[in-house]
Amino acid sequence: MKLEWSAEDEAFRAELIAFLDEHAPAEAKVGRDFTEGGGFEIPKWAREWQATLFDHGWMIPGYPPELGGRNATPTQTLIYMEELARQRIPRSLHFPGYAIAAPSLLEFGDDEQKALAPASIRGDLVWCIGMSEPNAGSDLASLTTRAVQDGADGPFIVNGQKVWTSYSMIAEKCFCYVRTDPSASKHTGISVLIIDMDTPGIEVRPLRHLTGAEDFAEVFFTDVEVPAKHLVGGLNDGWRITMGSLAHERGGLWIQSVAMVQQTVDDLCSLARRCGRADDAGVRRRIAEAYEEVASLRALGYKGFASFAQGSSAPEHSYLKLATSELGKSLYELGMQIQGPYGAVADPQRGAENGRWAHSFFVSFANTIAGGSSEIQRNIIATRILGLPR
Amino acid sequence: MDFTMTDEQVLLRDTARALLAKECPSSLVRAHIDDPAAAEPLWKQLSEWVELAGGPLVDLCLFLEECGAVLAPGPFLPTVLAARLMDFEGTATVAMAGIDGHWSVNDESTRAFVLEADRVDHVVAVWSSGVTAANVTAIRQVGSVDSTRRIFEVDVRPVSPHVAANIDDWLERAYVAVAAELVGTARWLLQASIEYAKQRVQFDVPIGSFQAIQHKLANMSLAVERAVSATYYAAMAIDADDEDRHRAAHVAKAAAGRAATLCAKDGIQIHGGIGYTWEHDLHLYIRRAYASEALLGTSGWHHDRLADLLLR
Repeated sequence: MKLEWSAEDEAFRAELIAFLDEHAPAEAKVGRDFTEGGGFEIPKWAREWQATLFDHGWMIPGYPPELGGRNATPTQTLIYMEELARQRIPRSLHFPGYAIAAPSLLEFGDDEQKALAPASIRGDLVWCIGMSEPNAGSDLASLTTRAVQDGADGPFIVNGQKVWTSYSMIAEKCFCYVRTDPSASKHTGISVLIIDMDTPGIEVRPLRHLTGAEDFAEVFFTDVEVPAKHLVGGLNDGWRITMGSLAHERGGLWIQSVAMVQQTVDDLCSLARRCGRADDAGVRRRIAEAYEEVASLRALGYKGFASFAQGSSAPEHSYLKLATSELGKSLYELGMQIQGPYGAVADPQRGAENGRWAHSFFVSFANTIAGGSSEIQRNIIATRILGLPR
Repeated sequence: MDFTMTDEQVLLRDTARALLAKECPSSLVRAHIDDPAAAEPLWKQLSEWVELAGGPLVDLCLFLEECGAVLAPGPFLPTVLAARLMDFEGTATVAMAGIDGHWSVNDESTRAFVLEADRVDHVVAVWSSGVTAANVTAIRQVGSVDSTRRIFEVDVRPVSPHVAANIDDWLERAYVAVAAELVGTARWLLQASIEYAKQRVQFDVPIGSFQAIQHKLANMSLAVERAVSATYYAAMAIDADDEDRHRAAHVAKAAAGRAATLCAKDGIQIHGGIGYTWEHDLHLYIRRAYASEALLGTSGWHHDRLADLLLR
């Protein structure tokens, strides 16, 4: 166990910092919330930035150059994630393509499907992921969107509905989980189809969420015809891919989640000073407790990474998902409380905060629900890590 | 940053675990309640490991974590702490905290929270002008809920020249060392609660299949994982003399104290009635958890020091 990085790894970091200094656009350095859903458009600067990262081998450093990387080691990938988080620079404003669709296609797809990966990672091809349904949330395996194949080699006919589908308003393709065998047990009758979003029969209805924003949507499928060659992996073998997708989603996100909570603690220190509460014993104690949590979570992430990099699974991700989402929510609430009577005021004429803590608090409700709710994370920890009976 | 244990560290942990399982059964810990001399055979086995105090803090923590998991009584902890302040043969303890219980440098003649003071060979006293060997002119045992570790108030006077010492550095090491012990204690409480939840059947099923129990255990294990990680991170930061060492040491002690006391409280709840008996070992661990949470600064005190660093 040691704190130091190797000389090669420090050189890697130096090269990355030099690249960021030269290429990162000013718009990228605003500390964007990584977890907010996608909107109706991806800004031009963000598209160009993602392409620049890809072209220089800095999009997914662990991949080979043709996939936007530079064959970096796992440790170097960690350094990369950490440095981006530290500088608050996002790689991309639409994660489904590079973080879920591309890795899944590379692992499970045929050659034609694998060929979609570079454009998906570069951000030229925008994806949405069709997972959740009105009656399949935490219990994802109960999804009922049906795909019936018309003959042995004929197209699949898809009917059903997806919900909370981020980026579906602008996506060109949907990585869609469908039920292909309703008679099989619920985990074994699922398949994955690549569905072109301009296929007739697809309707996308923006869904306004509790903050008032409309940045995801419901997707309705009515007799949507999908060519048989758009099946990913084997028929009825989709659950395996689901697990892969979620693993890809969680794999490297912990350091961003930890960095975000760390930034929130820093912001709370500034807020306490601005509001004249920096000497308030209660406020000081709460901020220090939060610091203790985030510092220990960061160490926990590194500890999990050590086993991950050696090829073991890293159950730490469930701990980090659970803890950072819960902590983040409580910190935004604390930010409201520090402002006292003005905690729920959202008015640019009444102080610099302009309701941003309340807004972030509202947004953060999504973090303990999406991607496996806190309750599901505790179930996973209890049954898969602690070995308790189901 | 690399949390991977070297082969030597794995061997150290495994050796410590096997040694302590053999030499420190709960029968010894219980015998020590009435007769502190019961810990003497254990000390004979542990004495050669005091040299860990002069090496990397990570290695000492690996050993102390195993000590905490079996509640090893006796002079090992005070001796490895004192060994960073002064060279000596045999056993020792540190007299630093004043009568207010705070571990801040002072020149008072009465010192509190002096561990195992009546059964050690040397007392090392900390003064504003340095560290000295000390003569104990009066000694009073102070009752403690922790039956595995004894605390004393002692009246001391210096009997050797004052030697300069970096007390802040020593304190940070001590916070992390006690955190490592607490991590071992918390780990035992968690593990015992998991095992019990798997085998205890009510309503015809193991209680560990109930979400109410599962989620308590998930929260406990998260607290333990945080404490383990924070403790070894702090040890690495101190070994590397990294600038983050000051914060990291407070984080480690606070996280370990919170984990151990959470696992104590919820561990009892999960055990139900059997956990409320003297016969079960749980109460020994709960006693140690709360006493060590308070030793060298409560979690709240460490949070306040963190706030001083964050909000100055």
